[in-house]
Amino acid sequence: MEEIKQGAVEEGDAIIVEHLSKRYRIPHERKQTIFEHIFSLFRGGAYSYEEFCALDDVSFSVRHGETYGIIGPNGSGKSTLLKILAGVLYADGGVKVVQGRIAPFIELGVGFQPDLTAKENIYLYGAIMGLKKRDIRERYDAIIEFAELKRFENMRLKNFSSGMVVRLAFSTAIQTDPDILLVDEVLSVGDESFQQKCNQKIGELRTKGKTIIFVSHSLETVHNLCSRCLLLDKGHVIQIGPTPDVVHTYLRLIGSKGASS
Amino acid sequence: MWITEYRDLISILTVSDLRVKYQSSVLGFAWSLVNPLLMMLVLYVVFSNVFHMSENQYALYILIGIVSWRFLQNGSSAAMSSIVGKPGLVTKVYIPRQILVLSSVLSVFISSLLEFLVLICLLVAFGVPISFTVLLFPFVHLLFLFLLYGLSLGLASLYVYYRDLNQIWEVLLQAGFFLCPIVYPLSTIPEQYLPIYMLNPITDLITIYRDIFLYGQLPSPATIAIVVISGVILFSIGRLLFDKLERRFAEEV
Repeated sequence: MEEIKQGAVEEGDAIIVEHLSKRYRIPHERKQTIFEHIFSLFRGGAYSYEEFCALDDVSFSVRHGETYGIIGPNGSGKSTLLKILAGVLYADGGVKVVQGRIAPFIELGVGFQPDLTAKENIYLYGAIMGLKKRDIRERYDAIIEFAELKRFENMRLKNFSSGMVVRLAFSTAIQTDPDILLVDEVLSVGDESFQQKCNQKIGELRTKGKTIIFVSHSLETVHNLCSRCLLLDKGHVIQIGPTPDVVHTYLRLIGSKGASS
Repeated sequence: MWITEYRDLISILTVSDLRVKYQSSVLGFAWSLVNPLLMMLVLYVVFSNVFHMSENQYALYILIGIVSWRFLQNGSSAAMSSIVGKPGLVTKVYIPRQILVLSSVLSVFISSLLEFLVLICLLVAFGVPISFTVLLFPFVHLLFLFLLYGLSLGLASLYVYYRDLNQIWEVLLQAGFFLCPIVYPLSTIPEQYLPIYMLNPITDLITIYRDIFLYGQLPSPATIAIVVISGVILFSIGRLLFDKLERRFAEEV
């Protein structure tokens, strides 16, 4: 069973994961209505499903202030792992210990309402990301300033360009001031200059000693940001170690797959 | 407790819900008041000849029934789709999922309060003597809110797995509208069935609202007891279902 213990962590560790496993159910027939369920009862078909093991016996730990990369080919379980850390998915087995406030940047702008203004959306999204009203009021100017959207604060979001929406989302999310950031390839947003601002902000957070878990396909970014990496394949941990070594293994893994197919 | 910890998020979500609902139409909130009044008019014209009610204030009698019923109808429908309707808040970020159900019930609660406010104005306009029993309204309405929240927890979590539940619920609501004394007087129910009939907590709630608004009477303890007991039962079942089904929400939404 999964447990979340606070304060039971060894000094220096922000996240400890031990023997984590997650199985998805793949039903043989998709039954999504009461009608279908009743129908299949009469036909005598029991509820049958296959299990798909997305994560199997995954263990690792992340130190406070570390920027930690998770890499692996498509379908290796990276996103599942991140979602379990975020608390969105429940694990089927293993232990997860998280120390500190965690903020998932799995998708930016979750819960944005197109019919509301930028200002209203900042309050809404800020609250979703765990801020109190008072905190948002204090940081509001910084948020709208960073997004470069002061002129448009009373415009409805549906009239914004997609770039503006993303800028607003990132600026709000980055102000939530978490201890641990979970980042899933969302940082490639906005134009060149905003991109630079984002990277700068991430750099700032790193120097401030925040823990960052970084999931990416871009090996270059991982190389630049992360000191240590975890390589996943088909739900198994292949290697944990310094980034250059792990990236090397990863490239060999992809190479061998390419050769065999 | 998640309610106190997340109270800012709950209030912001509730207010956003209301804003989105009323911003998109020109008349905004006025429409949701016109709706019950028109409905009352239709039912009055149709049924005033059928029942030959002895009620002097038949129109207001119906209106109290409708306004109470609308809280159940709008609240349960909105709450049922509160989880499925906001998949991002379930799969991309962690917040206690009860918040989604609670905030959608609360936004309907606020709409309902305003409808009752208009109702009170109409009572005064029609010359109904307002008694001190009106002061009981907040307590009764909070009781209704509690009952509705329990029901909504169950409906919202089941709807994640059974997507035709809204169709079934719509039919049940249709039937419920005529099972409750909204358009007809309680006296049309045969004496021997009355004890069973009164077991429906919504019937009791409507009766209580009429007692405190129209007749200036204190509600009978029995009706209040039935509402409280059914509220506790619904809440317990709803919470049990929700806790059990919540674990796979992110995979099913």
